[in-house]
Amino acid sequence: MFKDLTLTNIGKWWITIQISWVKHTAYRLNFFLQIIGPALVFFFVKYNLWASIYAGDSEQIIRGFNFEKMINYHIWAFVVALVAQGHGSWNLAEDIRLGRISSYLIYPFNFWEFHTASWLSFQVIQMIIAAFTLGIISYFGLLIFPSFDYFLIGVAYTLFISLFWFTLQYLTGVMAFWLEETWILRVMLNTVAYFLSGAIIPLDLYPKWIVDILNYTPFPYLTYYPIKIFMGELTNLSLGLYIISFWTIVFAIINHLVWKKGIKLYTAAGM
Amino acid sequence: MLKKLSHYWDVYKKFVSTSVSVETSFRTSFILLIFMDFFFFFSSIGSVSFIFDHVVNIGPWEKNQLLFFLTFMLMIDNLHMMIFSQSFWEFSFHIKTGQLDYVILKPMNTIFSVFFRHFRASSLFNTPLFLGYLIYYGIQVNLTAFDWVMLPFLIVLSLALLVVIEFILSTSMFWLTDGMGINFLRMQMQQLARWPNFIYQGLIRKVLTVVLPILLVGSGPVHFLLDKNAWQLLATMVVALVILTFVLLATWKVGLRRYDSASS
Repeated sequence: MFKDLTLTNIGKWWITIQISWVKHTAYRLNFFLQIIGPALVFFFVKYNLWASIYAGDSEQIIRGFNFEKMINYHIWAFVVALVAQGHGSWNLAEDIRLGRISSYLIYPFNFWEFHTASWLSFQVIQMIIAAFTLGIISYFGLLIFPSFDYFLIGVAYTLFISLFWFTLQYLTGVMAFWLEETWILRVMLNTVAYFLSGAIIPLDLYPKWIVDILNYTPFPYLTYYPIKIFMGELTNLSLGLYIISFWTIVFAIINHLVWKKGIKLYTAAGM
Repeated sequence: MLKKLSHYWDVYKKFVSTSVSVETSFRTSFILLIFMDFFFFFSSIGSVSFIFDHVVNIGPWEKNQLLFFLTFMLMIDNLHMMIFSQSFWEFSFHIKTGQLDYVILKPMNTIFSVFFRHFRASSLFNTPLFLGYLIYYGIQVNLTAFDWVMLPFLIVLSLALLVVIEFILSTSMFWLTDGMGINFLRMQMQQLARWPNFIYQGLIRKVLTVVLPILLVGSGPVHFLLDKNAWQLLATMVVALVILTFVLLATWKVGLRRYDSASS
């Protein structure tokens, strides 16, 4: 019976992934402008900024970064942003706010299962886009691949980070039980994370005392660490894995508790 | 004409007061919005400061000049957030759901009733911070008395150019089933404008200065304030604003005709 139940459930997951795929790709222009566009423009601005800085002295080394290495850092930052941080759990808060979760309460497929399956399909799309982008950048000779091993470890680590981001975004989404506008939390979280994770500039350029403090938080492990793996420069991989695992479990537990408390407040708006 | 302006001002005051009432009734969101702006401000300033710990110049500008530019742009952002931002998001939602019917039926200019409807009072709380930093870096770059007099007018001019470009971009929502992506495109335009024009090179710089003059928003006034010989950019900005206003009026008219009211 347990076996049948599991197989049935896998079938539901598979169908939900397929439906989500269709939903994500239905409005392609929107998908491009909303998901890929921001990461692309962010990279474009950083490329131009650093090109302008290094134009004054093309041989200069800034904290161990020559121009080529700096651009490689930002290419990998672009890939990490695409794969790990693209999903915003937008529908999740909307489902709660507009009273759409009533359906999930009677379906034999949970709310978290539905949104996790949707996230998985989103991740597949993002992986394809990232691979395509890397292919183009490599074709133009802008990217240095240290080794295939580092690349694979980097991909695995980035996917792991995306799980962490998903649990965090899920938390901001379920806050819709209490908040009218959850996008504020999401933007705030993204702003702080981008700044403190080394997505805007490498953490090597930050004052040492700030980096020392940041090492006790999950932030450096979200962008800076995966980039360093991709660049073949990271030796201590386990530390990042432990810290991200710890925070992912913490947020997953909080999500469960928040959902349990929030559902008691749920009024099924519009029903 | 004066009577008409006075009428619009009265209507705008009502828009502001209802927006404030709505916003302050969701107190947690209101406070979070203040913190969101606050984090954005300091992450922007911090990023540039950290870069200047390792380099002397970016292009022709040293640290204080670039930070003056950045605080100028952040001041524009603050006013944009306060006066316009929410209306853009509501506009895409209203087109999608057909609620735009109720907005355009009002006996007013439709651009006014669509884009001036929502006021975000929470941004007002951060204005002293944004303004304080702008004045501080203005002093650091030795602005003259004439520059200080010009500054408020240049801020209004920059904001006007930015929003006219964004109004035109938003008009494209009339042709789309879901215009949400256009709002993200707008935000990317803001992102491009947040850096001085000289960091961009070649064709891209020309396109973003002449065709879609988003780079003029900050670079036009700040180049002029720092060097009076750079008046051409400011003049281009004024010409661009006039031309784009006509483009907006024309595209808006066509867009309204295209609108088919989803709810009807």
